[in-house]
Amino acid sequence: MDLLDYAWAGVLAVFQGPVLFSIFGLSISATIAMVLFGFLNGIFVGATPGLGGPMAMAISLPILISIFGFSSDALLPVMGCLIGIMKGATVGGAVPAILFNTPGTPDAYLTTLDGYPMAKRGEARRALKVAHFSSASGDTFSDLVLILCAPFLATLVERYLDLPEKTALLILSLSFIAAVIGGSVAKGLLSAGLGIFVAAIGTGEDFYPRLSLGTDMLAQGFPAVAVILGVLILGEVFRGLEDLARSGYGRPTLPGHAPPGPPGNDKIRHLPWQDRRPLLPHIARSAMIGTAVGALPGIGSTLAATLGHAAGKRRHARKAPDARAFGTGAPEGIAATEAANSAVSGANLIPVLSLGIPGNAAAVFLILAADSIGGFNPGPAVFRYNQDAVNPELIIAFGLFATMLLANLINWTVGGTVMRSMAIMTRIPKHILLPVVLMLTLTSIYVQETRMAALWFVIGFGILGYVMRRLDISPLPFVIAFILGGRLEETARQAYAATGNDPFFLATSPISAIFVVMSISVIVLAQYRRPTTAS
Amino acid sequence: MTRRVACWRLPRNSGPPSMTGRDVNANTVLGLVVIALALIVLLVWIPLDTESGILEQVRRKVTIGDAMEPSLAAILMLVSGILLLVEPGGPALSPAHLRWLAGICGILVLGFALIRWTGPVMAWLWVDGVEYRLLRDTAPWKHLGLITGSIAIVAGLIAVVERRLSVRGILVALTVAGGLILIYDLPFDDLLLPPNGDV
Repeated sequence: MDLLDYAWAGVLAVFQGPVLFSIFGLSISATIAMVLFGFLNGIFVGATPGLGGPMAMAISLPILISIFGFSSDALLPVMGCLIGIMKGATVGGAVPAILFNTPGTPDAYLTTLDGYPMAKRGEARRALKVAHFSSASGDTFSDLVLILCAPFLATLVERYLDLPEKTALLILSLSFIAAVIGGSVAKGLLSAGLGIFVAAIGTGEDFYPRLSLGTDMLAQGFPAVAVILGVLILGEVFRGLEDLARSGYGRPTLPGHAPPGPPGNDKIRHLPWQDRRPLLPHIARSAMIGTAVGALPGIGSTLAATLGHAAGKRRHARKAPDARAFGTGAPEGIAATEAANSAVSGANLIPVLSLGIPGNAAAVFLILAADSIGGFNPGPAVFRYNQDAVNPELIIAFGLFATMLLANLINWTVGGTVMRSMAIMTRIPKHILLPVVLMLTLTSIYVQETRMAALWFVIGFGILGYVMRRLDISPLPFVIAFILGGRLEETARQAYAATGNDPFFLATSPISAIFVVMSISVIVLAQYRRPTTAS
Repeated sequence: MTRRVACWRLPRNSGPPSMTGRDVNANTVLGLVVIALALIVLLVWIPLDTESGILEQVRRKVTIGDAMEPSLAAILMLVSGILLLVEPGGPALSPAHLRWLAGICGILVLGFALIRWTGPVMAWLWVDGVEYRLLRDTAPWKHLGLITGSIAIVAGLIAVVERRLSVRGILVALTVAGGLILIYDLPFDDLLLPPNGDV
């Protein structure tokens, strides 16, 4: 099979894969239905302040695995649904930001600066259309970059990096994530160190499961789903509930929150070309910024939105000094923010698919799905192919690209309409939503693990996630290090053996030595450059 | 109809409690705790609880032992602890945070106890000579734990935030329990709701 055959097989796996149901004799592929369901669900949760893409992915994953099982046929429907949620949530986050000055997702905060003033002027509908157009454009651009770059990068990795270099690359990724996420290098390192340590408990190659304290409970290690959902979801639920209890649950928690603006009286059916044209330079610039930021592991969409908005603001002030300024209801401000944060969603799969390194919470759940189901191990080996043997993982990879393009198609066609109908979601009280999310998460984990011990683990890691948040320690390096810890050890063991037990195997090849030097440099530079925050 | 419950009080609009303003540097305290933890892990836990060392000789061949990965993790934590000592400021955990956490854990422990024991206790009370294990695939027995546990957890947490136990909270909890039964129990024969995998 050549590359085009693989691409076509991937498309066919999406459109002619397992059938979910038939309408009038027409078979509906499970993958297509799940991408659509995931996308609509994503808009729904994105438009709900307090929820978000990662939370919805966390709750959906065990349910999807229960429905589709653990066969390789389940991969595309499950991962397609998660990709749909990821994309839909980014679009949906703009709805409450524009209509109620409350960002549905953290990266939509800057959308409030121009979106809500437009809504107050009675241009809510126009603002939502600008947000949707920009978001869909940025997302599509970043998906195309992903499709072009991921195979290329993976092929480079496979061709030029041997085991020592791969070990060094994993170390570089972890140190980069620890250095750039959060407000402190020390806390990033602490989070990553804890993650690697937790990954080591109950595992190893010896007959005795290490660090298990002689107990059966720890001998099997911690279930990945309990660790990840505990730290990411329960920790957030515990903190969110406490903030609500302290601030008064009926009141908004965000500074600058204002009552809803007047309903949009602008009855425009389509955004006219003269409205779209001035947005295009902002969308193009922000899409490139978002894609570049998304391709780096650990840097999230909030930074992309900030950079896109700042760059757009400078250009707007210089090129159009007489136009409405950013922050006062300029459509260009919405475009710059939404294109940047949406462009992250495709690009952040570049390190996942080409290197097997998750860069953000959404990517963590895609890796968790792949790990849980089996048959697909994201990493450079996915893109390995030759004419003689079939690589089923490459078909799945192209199937994933097809699901992303399908999600984009859904976004361009019905996304805007669905998005505008989701304003009602902001009315759901967060203090009711969070306990529901907690109960759903607990039950989902039990259904998957079928033992109460898993629930105690998830509560334990929820407490850890809460404490980390209160101490301003980002939980993301912990989760990523937990996922990569096992792989890092395995690669290091293989590299050590392959180099004839050379204790300096990381320094013998120039590439791995450069990676190690970069790992140390990124930590030192980040520590040196970070402004001190003395209270 | 609502009823006031005696739950722990949180001062409203007081902002997150912190140690800001005191003479204690929160990051220094955190750094010392992390250093102590890392040293315990490195010097006590890993040597006593791993079978092989950092490097191990098996049949005249040297391999990486099971102690390598956790040791590196502990060293990373040690470095982060030392860096925290020189990093000023930072938020701290206050007694109010710990009280909140204790309260949340209390609700969850109560919820888990109800999930685990409601079904067996009801079966013991109402069905003579049949243990719960034989009823765990029979409605409504298999749902009792989930329903009571949901009420404790969902309605309990809503009550903590609202500072009153409300009928709305209980209705939400019952709806959640019903939804979970609809999602997991009705369509799938092979899935077990809590606590039916443990009994």
